[in-house]
Amino acid sequence: MQLEAPIPGENFTSDTKNMPWHRPPDLTDYDEAIEYFFDRLEDPEQMEMTFAMIGINAHITTIVSTILLQAIRLGKVSIDLAILIAGPLARIIEIQAKSVELKYEMGVEDKDRIIITPTLLRATLGVVSDEIPDDVEELSEEEITESPQGLMSMPLMGSSDVAPAEEQAAMLGGPSEPVEEEEV
Amino acid sequence: MNFEDAIKKSIKLFLAGKQPEALRATKDTDFTYSAEYFDLLEEDLLDEPTESTKARLAKEEKINAA
Repeated sequence: MQLEAPIPGENFTSDTKNMPWHRPPDLTDYDEAIEYFFDRLEDPEQMEMTFAMIGINAHITTIVSTILLQAIRLGKVSIDLAILIAGPLARIIEIQAKSVELKYEMGVEDKDRIIITPTLLRATLGVVSDEIPDDVEELSEEEITESPQGLMSMPLMGSSDVAPAEEQAAMLGGPSEPVEEEEV
Repeated sequence: MNFEDAIKKSIKLFLAGKQPEALRATKDTDFTYSAEYFDLLEEDLLDEPTESTKARLAKEEKINAA
């Protein structure tokens, strides 16, 4: 049970114009808004922050959304206009980064996207193809039975390759060959 | 789609040369800060033509040659 939950209708008791984003935004024109951010991004402190963020491998998209969210919070622009001016803002930051020869990543590329291939699709759907591709050579029975065995490989099932008793004794630290008793 | 995704999509479209056409239709004049504006700005600042400018010039040359 939530004792500190708001009472139904409590929202109607507060002033709706308390927050900046509740009021009409300061900038409503596309060019005007870009000009405002252009000036802001050229501010030395803001530039330092932008370059520092690029320095820690932050994507330009992340920087842009941070700046825009801040502007929305302050009631400078509406959410819709913020989305519309994101492109020009990214371009300004890109040019700034290029001018000081900073390595940057835009962040619009889908690097984590999994490329859908026929093999992946087959595996996902659980489709097992009966067709054998032409480039696969059929192995003879001898080749199949003669599987390569490494030092640590598991012995084949049913194989009778058991080490002789002397080898086993040597492996256990005993004498490799039976010692003949000395004649007295 | 969250805010970050919308921003990414908007940037992607702007870099592809698309402009908010519906917004432009509400205005009498073209946008000042268009993609071409930023191309020229970059060219001026970096003293080298940008990729989009190179592509545009190549396209214009092709048209002129034909």
